[in-house]
Amino acid sequence: MTGEDWDIIIIGTGIGGGTIGRRLAERGQRVLFVEQGPDSPRTEETPLNAALADPVARAVRGFWPDPVLGRIDGQDRRFFAPLGAGVGGSSVFYAATLEPPAPHDLDDSIDRPHPTGGWPVSYADLRPFLEEAAAMYGVGSPAPPLGAADTAIMRRLTAKGLHPQRLQAGVRYLDGCKECFGRKCPRPCKMDGRSAGVDPALATGNATLLDRCEVTALRGAGRMVSHVEALHKGKPVTLRGKQVVLAAGAFGSPRLLLSAADWPGGCANGSGLVGRNLMFHLNEMFAIWPGGGFRGASKAVGLRDLYHLDGQRYGMVQAMGIAASYGEITHYLRAMLDQTRLRRLSGLVRLPALAASRLLGNAAVFVGLLEDMPRPENRVLPDPANAAQIRFEYTMPQELLNRRKAFRRHIRAAFKGQFPLFLNRGPALNFGHPCGTVRFGTDPATSVLDPDCRAHDLDNLWVVDASFFPTSMGVNPSLTIAANALRVADRMLE
Amino acid sequence: MTGLAVVTGAGGGLGRCLALELVRRGVPVVGFGRRAAALDQTAELAGPGFTPMVVDVADAAAVAAAFAALPAPVTILVNNAAVYPRLDVLDECPAGFMQTVAVNLGGMVACTDAALRQMVPVGRGRIVNVASFADLAPLPASSAYAVSKGAARIYTRTLVADLGDRFPGIVVTDWLPGMLATGMGIAGGLDPAIAARWGATLALWHDPALNGALFEQDRELLPPRSLKGRIKDRLLMRPRRVARRLS
Repeated sequence: MTGEDWDIIIIGTGIGGGTIGRRLAERGQRVLFVEQGPDSPRTEETPLNAALADPVARAVRGFWPDPVLGRIDGQDRRFFAPLGAGVGGSSVFYAATLEPPAPHDLDDSIDRPHPTGGWPVSYADLRPFLEEAAAMYGVGSPAPPLGAADTAIMRRLTAKGLHPQRLQAGVRYLDGCKECFGRKCPRPCKMDGRSAGVDPALATGNATLLDRCEVTALRGAGRMVSHVEALHKGKPVTLRGKQVVLAAGAFGSPRLLLSAADWPGGCANGSGLVGRNLMFHLNEMFAIWPGGGFRGASKAVGLRDLYHLDGQRYGMVQAMGIAASYGEITHYLRAMLDQTRLRRLSGLVRLPALAASRLLGNAAVFVGLLEDMPRPENRVLPDPANAAQIRFEYTMPQELLNRRKAFRRHIRAAFKGQFPLFLNRGPALNFGHPCGTVRFGTDPATSVLDPDCRAHDLDNLWVVDASFFPTSMGVNPSLTIAANALRVADRMLE
Repeated sequence: MTGLAVVTGAGGGLGRCLALELVRRGVPVVGFGRRAAALDQTAELAGPGFTPMVVDVADAAAVAAAFAALPAPVTILVNNAAVYPRLDVLDECPAGFMQTVAVNLGGMVACTDAALRQMVPVGRGRIVNVASFADLAPLPASSAYAVSKGAARIYTRTLVADLGDRFPGIVVTDWLPGMLATGMGIAGGLDPAIAARWGATLALWHDPALNGALFEQDRELLPPRSLKGRIKDRLLMRPRRVARRLS
């Protein structure tokens, strides 16, 4: 594996790496997947668990092993982000929401001006790839009919003149499907970077997987990456490929570029923008009670009516796939109280929560995704003390907070009559949706990658994870990452 | 739960009864034991559903080889083999003490490890560990037995900690059969054939909710709840946990 000269080395096996690796292997390229985490047994059903702290136990399960360090609004925080580190990356834990972006997420128009003037690829150009990616990820597979709770929620929203829709999910609904949202799926049923990417790539016979292999340095000079240095199960290895694809995530990819000492200021960093323009989504979580004592989580209902409203960019509102029973509501209420001066009373939240769950049945938890805007001061930084450490700085501007207030107002109005209860009081960054840190564009002075997602400064380096996003969009990133990976694969094969 | 069961210590006592009961219920059993003659007796009583294998569970390499030679992948493992040398601490020697630990704890670890290598690839399996209260209030002259059986119960809990969230289809349960009228037990004890019926039911009961549960004879032992906790439960109208039964 290490003595060979591969056609393509892919660093990271999430949605981006898995998808591009599959396409390239299917087209006869000799592909090496390099994955930091383990190729864990395919039968695992592990749920993502932020409470598990031991780095070895986390690594075995495919969780990102270490806490991330974030300076958020000037305060240093250290916490476990909902990130994966194993074959399939974070996507093996995702809820498989594969909603396409809206045209205004990419395009600039008079009605809906784009904050960066538009992506270098138009919605029309990306659309065939969005459709191809959706098909590859099993979107549109025959799904069981909507449950009673979802039907009731849909009816109420429709009665208000809104347009609820069934969410696009990357699930094949095989016999006995358990809808493994938030946990690993033991079968090729939920489609993720592993089941729709790495596994089919390996089945072609053209791809090889090197797991537990942590890339330590991109090496090279001028316009070429010559080789990749890594620790495979703790042993140093050198990997050589004609092309190198970075798909280590919007935290990992800029970190590797910035720490590449063979180039002044880091690899591919002539613009000085590597690591900058870090974006997340803001999550506005809320519980609703559809009434009628319905049970079971909803993951099926989505709403685009608030996506872009009164000239403002908000985002999708959708079911989270959690049924909040008494226990969860208690937990959220307590967390809310902890943020206020009433924190000493947090023991008392059980009674209202109990009353709510008794009277109203289980709540369905929804989330509004609020689009974040690129700002150069929000960024991923290398950690001089530990090259493997994820470290970032992020400050919330007033503009975002104002837009958030308006978004919550719109949500409250849309769900009036279903007792919407917001579960987060302060702004909640979605640390599972980082993006923007290696943006693509036409101008090498204002972007890191060219419109094909190849580095402006290098001839054989490509980036296909959410780092390339110039803006964060108002939708889950996965389908766009997958579609772009297919697009970039075509360019690489030209 | 169907497939192939491995019962350790199948040459006598409770292990023989468990093997017979499982075979009676249509489950093919491979019985491990050190004494060929004793295993042959079990085979004679059991009929064609039973396959004897002479294996010392304290020998991890022999255990691994035995599992590799099974006629089919194991789906049920009953860790039953144990020794109970009655020795005062002043008469025990460190080497002898550790030999008991090697059988009672080491045997369970070796068999579980080998079985997991066949269960993990299918994500399904059942492990019942025959346990004892010996660690809670050790009887005199039981030091090595009490220590090893206590550690074995901790081992069960570590299996649940490491595997419970990842492989909910691999279900591990502790079972306390009680004082039996066997060579290791007491003269006036319970007929091991009766206990074996409960044990077989437990071994064939494949429910992820049994992961980490503890059964005594034919009923579940729930973790103790403090008075304060019980009052809280009543105030909050939490549903009362009901002990599950095997008969």
